[in-house]
This record gives sequence, structure tokens and C-alpha cells, in this order.
Amino acid sequence: MFLINCPYCGERDQSEFSAGGEAHILRPKQPTELSDDQWAEYLFMRKNIKGVQFERWNHAHGCRKWFNMIRDTSNDKIHAVYKMGEKPPLK
Amino acid sequence: MLNFNTPIIDTKEYSEIKISEIEPILKINLRGKSRDFVTKIGKELSIITPVDPNTSSSNEKFNLLWLSPDEWFLYSNDKIDIKDANVLENKLFNEISKVKLGSVTNVSDHWIMINLKGIKIFELLSAGCPFNFNNFKKSKGAVTQTLINHIDVIIHNKNVNDLNLFVRRSFSAHLWSWMNDSARFI
Ligand SMILES: [Zn+2]
Repeated sequence: MFLINCPYCGERDQSEFSAGGEAHILRPKQPTELSDDQWAEYLFMRKNIKGVQFERWNHAHGCRKWFNMIRDTSNDKIHAVYKMGEKPPLK
Repeated sequence: MLNFNTPIIDTKEYSEIKISEIEPILKINLRGKSRDFVTKIGKELSIITPVDPNTSSSNEKFNLLWLSPDEWFLYSNDKIDIKDANVLENKLFNEISKVKLGSVTNVSDHWIMINLKGIKIFELLSAGCPFNFNNFKKSKGAVTQTLINHIDVIIHNKNVNDLNLFVRRSFSAHLWSWMNDSARFI
């Protein structure tokens, strides 16, 4: 269990949130021009690293807004939280 | 809304805790993003639209709660004739939805209002809720959406030790049972 600082509501318990997978994956502009492999790469392949990861989260039981989070998956340390559309504050 | 039925119709008292279902209450969900929308609802209801997170504003008739940067929840102070809810819904619909400023949804049937009074109500809620009520209980008008015993709720700090809690109708009987069960141990 850990706390997440929702960019809209403030600090809340993790149980109010749901994880939405890897962040900053762009939908290809012309899906019809992609091979099945390229499309599968976009649709299914996720990094799932042990360490610092860029993720999307949703404050499902609060404001219901999506946002981005930089989290260390090995110890749940949250490095940054930022709104959708914003540039990651860390590299 | 021809036959308005409520699921609980009850009031229970424990030591320093009183819980009662208050219905029918008018409830309208308002969604919109533009500045025009925010000023429009303020004007229509003679109320200041709260734009700060977790806050609300009230007048003698209504309370307007902040739910999200583009979502608000309006509810009446007093019990209403459910026909009046339809009148207000239509008025807001014509002024807001029809001109594409935002959306207006009558959720009077969707949410059930439970009032909690007494000095031990926060202890009761905390028995099944991860939310930190320390600052919340000190600020009149504060609003939060959270989980109680895994059930989604909206809580409005109406006054000192006086809360209005909103729960979805289908979960309300379950939450009511849980509250009554938990109150016995507080
Ligand atoms: Zn939030």
C-alpha cells in the first residue's frame, strides 16, 4: 500500500487508483500502412521493467481523471506525477 | 420518476452517531469544460461555481460540489417534490445542454443521500475508508470522493460533525448495513 498524489485531488490512498500501463505510447498515424508485426508492437508490447517506469494512472474512485506517473517498480517510490499532455518532468 | 421509491427509509442512532437516509433530494450532475459553462451554472443557480479541488459552495437552496476539473454535483438542501427536480433539470438542460455548453444529467434516482451526525462519525467512516479525514473535518464545505468498505461515495462536510454522504442506489443497502454493523463497535 502506498499514497499517490493525484494532480487534481491531492494525496490519496493507492486503493482509489487503477494502473493504466505504460505511458507515452503514440498511436501510429497510419495504422493501415503498418505490417501485422508493427501493429502488434504498438498494441501489445510493453516494457514492464524493474526500475523507474513511466506509467498512466487513473484516479478511478476520486476525480476519475487520467494522469502520468514516474514510479520505481521495484520499491514503489514515486518520482513524479504530472497531467496528461504534459512533458515528463524527468528523463 | 413516476414512482419514487427509496431503498432505505430509516434512521438509526448509536452513541454519538446518528445516520439517516434523507430523500427525495434533487441531484444533478453537471459537466463542462469552458469558462462560459462555469459562469453559466453560477448565474442560473445564483451560486459561485467552486473551481478549487475538494471544495463546494452553498446557498439557501442548493449545494454545488466540485467533483473533477470538469464535473460538478448539485444537490438541494431540503427534500423536494420530485416534479420540481424535473423543472430545474429542463431549465438547465435548455440553458446548458441545448446550446452545447456542457451536459446536464438528473441523477436524483442514481444517488442516495445519507446524513451522518455526531462526534464519532469520522471514526465510523475510518473503520472502512483509507481517506485521511484530519483536515477534511476541520474545513466546512470540504468534499471528497473515496471508498468506504470498497463502495464509491461522495462526502460533503456540511457542518461540524454533520456530513451528507452520497452512495449509488444499488450499493446503498449494503453500505447502510455495513454502517449499522460498524457503528455498534465504535
Ligand atoms: Zn483525483
